[in-house]
Amino acid sequence: MKPLARLALILVLTLTVGAPAVRAGETFPPTTAPAGMTFIPAGDYAPLLRTKDEPERTPVAAYWLDIRPVTNAEFLEFVRAHPQWQRSRIGPLFGDRAYLADWAGDLELGSAVPADAPVVRVSWFAARAYAKSAGKRLPTTAEWERAASAGFTTPVGASEPGFSGAILAWLGRPTPSPLPAAGAGRPNFHGARDLHGLVWEWVDDFNTAMTTGESRGDTGLERNLFCGAGAVGARDLTDYPAFMRIGMRSSLQANYAVPNVGFRCARALTPPSSDSSLRDSSVALRP
Amino acid sequence: MKLNLALALSLLVTAVSAIATDATTAPCPPPAAGAKPSCCSEEKVAAAQPLSDRSIYQLGATWINDAGQPATLVSLRGKPVVVAMFFAQCEYACPVLVQDMKRLLAALPEKVRGQAQLVLVTFDTERDTPAALRAFRERMALDERWTLLRGDNESVQELAMLLGVKFKQDARGQFAHSNLLTLMNAEGEIVHRHGGLNGDISEAAKVFALAAKK
Repeated sequence: MKPLARLALILVLTLTVGAPAVRAGETFPPTTAPAGMTFIPAGDYAPLLRTKDEPERTPVAAYWLDIRPVTNAEFLEFVRAHPQWQRSRIGPLFGDRAYLADWAGDLELGSAVPADAPVVRVSWFAARAYAKSAGKRLPTTAEWERAASAGFTTPVGASEPGFSGAILAWLGRPTPSPLPAAGAGRPNFHGARDLHGLVWEWVDDFNTAMTTGESRGDTGLERNLFCGAGAVGARDLTDYPAFMRIGMRSSLQANYAVPNVGFRCARALTPPSSDSSLRDSSVALRP
Repeated sequence: MKLNLALALSLLVTAVSAIATDATTAPCPPPAAGAKPSCCSEEKVAAAQPLSDRSIYQLGATWINDAGQPATLVSLRGKPVVVAMFFAQCEYACPVLVQDMKRLLAALPEKVRGQAQLVLVTFDTERDTPAALRAFRERMALDERWTLLRGDNESVQELAMLLGVKFKQDARGQFAHSNLLTLMNAEGEIVHRHGGLNGDISEAAKVFALAAKK
C-alpha cells in the first residue's frame, strides 16, 4: 500500500511539472534493492551556498543508499578483516587519537559501546575503506543532501509540518551516551532512517565545503560567493540545519575522529566494472 | 619559532622510532627528458627502511609527470620536499603560489636549496595533460627541481585529504582551492604548513631548513 501510494505521488508530481515519462532507474528502482539499502530516485540538490557561476539546482542521479548508518558491530567485523584499520594500527595520518577511542580495545567494543549503535569516532579514510570493502562508496554531499531533504511522508521535508522542527530539536539536544541503536528512527519518504536525529555523517567530498576564503587569495572565494561566508547569499535563510552541516563539514579534516560523526554507504545503481571507486587504493596499499 | 623547532624535533624523533607500516615498492620512474635525474640509487637505500606512520608516502598512488612518464611521490624520499596542489589554467592564485615556492627556495640556505624538491600536483585531471603541464613549466620557468604531476580523481582526492587541501570545481571548470604549501622532510613527514598567498615565508624557510638537515 505504501509503495503504491509513493508511486502514485511520484506520478502526480511528474505529471504536474511536465517532466518526461517515469523511467525505471530514475524514479523507481530498476531492481530489488541490495540488502540494507534503499532507492533514492533521481532528483536535484539545491546547495545552500553556491558560487555565482553555479546553477541554483544541480541534478543528482538515482542511487542506492544504506537505510541506516553503519553500526559498531559492522565496523568491528571490518577492522577484524582489515587489521590496518584497527585503533592501534591506523597511524595518525589516517585516524587521529580519538579514532575509535570509546571502544574497549582493538577488537572489543566494551560495555559503553552498544553493538547496534552507529559507529562514530571514525575518520573519513576509515569510513571510505569500509565502504570499499563492502563494494560501496560514501555518498557525495549532493546525494546525501538530496536523500536527507525528503520528509517522512512527502519528497520535500521543508514543507512538511513538524519535519524541520524535529531536526532543530535534535540539534538542541546533547549527544546521548551511549548512542541509541541505528535504524530505530522513523523512515523518511525514500525509506532511509536516521539521516537526521542520530549522528552527523561523513560524505565523500566533505572537503568541498568552504565557508572561508580558501582560494584566489584570502578573500577570493568570498568574492565569488554571493556573499562571503554568508547568510545573505544563501538559498534559504531559515534552513538552520543546512548551515550547521556546512559548518560541520568545513571544520573537518579527513583524519578526524569525532564523537558524533558516523557514516553510511551508497552505491551506484549499476556500478561499472571499471569503477575507479573499487580500485581500493587506500585499503590495498596500506598493510 | 620555538614551537616549530619543537615540532620539527618531535617529528624527527617520530621518524626514528617509526613503526613498520608499508613497504610500498614504488616502481622506479624512468628518467624523463627535462625532469630530474634518476632517483633509483637513493630509492633503493630508502626502500630498505619502512615508511613512518606519518609519511605522506604511504599514499601509494602512481602519477604521470609532465614528460608523460609514470612517477611516484615516494621516489622523492631522501630529500626535503615542498608540495602544492594547483591547476594550470588558474588565473590568479596558482602563479602566486608558485612565486611563493620560489621565494621559499630563495630563502633557504644554499645547501638545502640544492636538495629541495618542489612538487606541483594538479586538481585538473581532465585538462592538465602532460603537454599542458609542460607548458606551465615553461611559462613559469621551472627548473629540474620541480616535478609536475597529474593523477586520477581518486589519487588527487586522497592526496588533498592527506594534505588538508580543500578544493571544489565550479561550473566553468575552474577550481576553488586552499592555497597551501606543505613542507615535508626526507621521509615525507609534514614538518610545516604554509597557508595563504604572498605571506611571510621566513618561518616556513627556517623549519624547512632545519628538517632538511635532519
